[in-house]
Amino acid sequence: MNIQRIRAVLLTAAIFAAASIIGYIFYRAGFPDASIALVYLLAVLFSVRQTSSFLTGLITSFAATFIFNYFFAEPRFTLAVNDPNYYITFLIMTVTALAVSTLTARVHRDAQTAREREQEVKAIYMLTNRLSDAADMNAIAEIASVAISEGLDCSAGCLCFDKNGIPQQTYVYQPRGKERSLIHREPERKEELVFRLNHLQDDHDEGEEFFDWPLFSGEDILGMIRIDRKDAEAMNPAQRRMLRSMIDSAALAMDRLRTSEQRMQSREEAARERYRANLLRSISHDIRTPLTGIIGTSEMLRSRLTDDPESYGMAEHIQKDAEWLHSLVENILTLTRLQDADLKISMETEVVEEIVGGAVGRVTEHHPEYDIEVVLPEELLMAPMDAKLIEQVIINLLENSIKHSPAGSPISVSVSRGAALWMLQTEESRKAASDWQNMVTISVRDAGSGIRESDIPRIFELFYSDEKRQVRGQRSFGLGLSICETIVRAHSGVIAARNREDRAGAEFAFALPLQKGDTVL
Amino acid sequence: MSIKILIVEDDAQIRSFVSYALTNEHYETVSADCAARALQQIEDASPDIMILDLGLPDMDGKEVIRKVRESSLMPILVVSARDRENEKVAALDMGADDYLTKPFSATELMARVRVAARHLSQTPAKPEMSRLCVRSLMIDPEKRLTYLNGEEIHLTPMEYQLLLFMMKNAGKVLTSGAIISELWGSGYGNDTQSLRALMAGLRRKIEKNPGKPEYIVTEIGVGYRMKEE
Repeated sequence: MNIQRIRAVLLTAAIFAAASIIGYIFYRAGFPDASIALVYLLAVLFSVRQTSSFLTGLITSFAATFIFNYFFAEPRFTLAVNDPNYYITFLIMTVTALAVSTLTARVHRDAQTAREREQEVKAIYMLTNRLSDAADMNAIAEIASVAISEGLDCSAGCLCFDKNGIPQQTYVYQPRGKERSLIHREPERKEELVFRLNHLQDDHDEGEEFFDWPLFSGEDILGMIRIDRKDAEAMNPAQRRMLRSMIDSAALAMDRLRTSEQRMQSREEAARERYRANLLRSISHDIRTPLTGIIGTSEMLRSRLTDDPESYGMAEHIQKDAEWLHSLVENILTLTRLQDADLKISMETEVVEEIVGGAVGRVTEHHPEYDIEVVLPEELLMAPMDAKLIEQVIINLLENSIKHSPAGSPISVSVSRGAALWMLQTEESRKAASDWQNMVTISVRDAGSGIRESDIPRIFELFYSDEKRQVRGQRSFGLGLSICETIVRAHSGVIAARNREDRAGAEFAFALPLQKGDTVL
Repeated sequence: MSIKILIVEDDAQIRSFVSYALTNEHYETVSADCAARALQQIEDASPDIMILDLGLPDMDGKEVIRKVRESSLMPILVVSARDRENEKVAALDMGADDYLTKPFSATELMARVRVAARHLSQTPAKPEMSRLCVRSLMIDPEKRLTYLNGEEIHLTPMEYQLLLFMMKNAGKVLTSGAIISELWGSGYGNDTQSLRALMAGLRRKIEKNPGKPEYIVTEIGVGYRMKEE
């Protein structure tokens, strides 16, 4: 800076010396004073061009007038003048010099700013361009370090943070003035560094050795740009501005990369999940066809073995097992269908008693030994639902009751308006049933063995199967009840279980929101 | 002369069990394992009833129904998996008479076949104005009167229309769409809600317990059936 100033002063002196020599030649040649004055104006112009500073313009303008006065105005070699007309000449000369120098300085300064801006834009463009090709975070760090180091003539480094916001073991560092010679360095006191970056007052942290700029994506830190303290302090506002832009570009590139990585990962996970569900579904489908044959054939076999009790029993066993296997397969199919993220339940407004009637009819067909009582309210209750799914819920609850109560014992299904208080024991169910008056409850009661109190909270969990209520050995997978819960939940309803208070037996009930607004009836 | 039933099913085990069950009840059976052979069998053996699996390897089940219906009114009983409701409904709308869901028992199968066989023996073109009876339920289209256990019951005009349509097609599964276009016209769209409400009203008049209907049963996701027995 100092050297530059001395050079400018020397150069200005040289220009004025040259002007004086030319002026002297003019003087000897007998040219008028005005020509000499113009030569000095030219000198002012050249001087200002060198420095493009307003101060230079001011000083040189006055200097030109005084030098002209000293050397050429009579009496020469004094600042005094004989002819008062010279005062006018001096005034005009000074004003003209000032005007010319000011204009020149402004033009120059604007040109220089434009040049700087252009350079800045070019550097940032180059950086963005290179960043868009970066394949991973480390590539971004390298590109950013090199670009900042070159663009701002400083030593710059870049540290990447992983997905959990933890800095990597090392960071890349590009020393000043060396063409692309990246060094891997270890950050000092990482915990402290993270803490400082997370609690910044300014946009950067000023350490003893380095200045650190965090690269943010929302609240998360993706990385950090590090510049040597002495380099950072020497930056002028234009360079600071350029640094800021480059940091923003790097942060943007990291953010984009991180987002696309996350998207790819979740897509992969979804694909895997879908594959698993599809596999399960296609296996279940394939099992279903031979099961139809097994169930039908064993039934025919049974009908031909009525006079051989032992063989009859074996055929009956085959049939029962095949039927059980079939219901398991159906449950798996329903569950995979429900878990399919793409599945939207197709809701239609249905008459609740109709769905109950249909489900009871289906169960009675398979279990004619049970007389299922149906209790309906006088009013017609309508609720939006996927009829097939709600039918499945009622069937599953009825079959659960049948499994746990002796043949011929009473089972009842009742429909009523509103959700009962006992069903709203959990915070979650109270939230789901906040409008409990406008719900319809379907309740299945049996006179079987009941439920162990300790099992009640977990009875709808997947694969939870209580030992006490298990009648048929080891085979209940507890799928049926958890499917009920999944379906009811998908309908924004609540489901609950308890032991009956009036007698031995269990009660399973679920409530669904009624149709909103006026019903058609 | 015994009734001849065509079994169209690609799974050999199901085919043999169905065939056995039917033979056991003195029906005559022919079978086919694909749609092409089934259409050939219809020409060669001229069966009276067809049991058609919708999941055939060579042709869409609906397409088979359409082809059969071009030349024949024979009762068609479709068989499909449980999660294929739409397929079933489409098949019924194409002209199938009834359906069975896999896996089905011999008892279910025989019940459906009996209904189809009974319809065969009836004269196909019934006079419009004759009385219709289903167990204790009787409808007199000439006087527009309905009787339950010999006593007259009062139905609204729409309820009467619904009951008449159901009784004319007793034993058959009628899809909601088919009933709606019969009652309200085909331009009415698919407003099942009105049908559901109308059905609930009718049931309250003809059923002892609408929650356990004995006459009109709901085939959830498909439609309704007037039970004959």
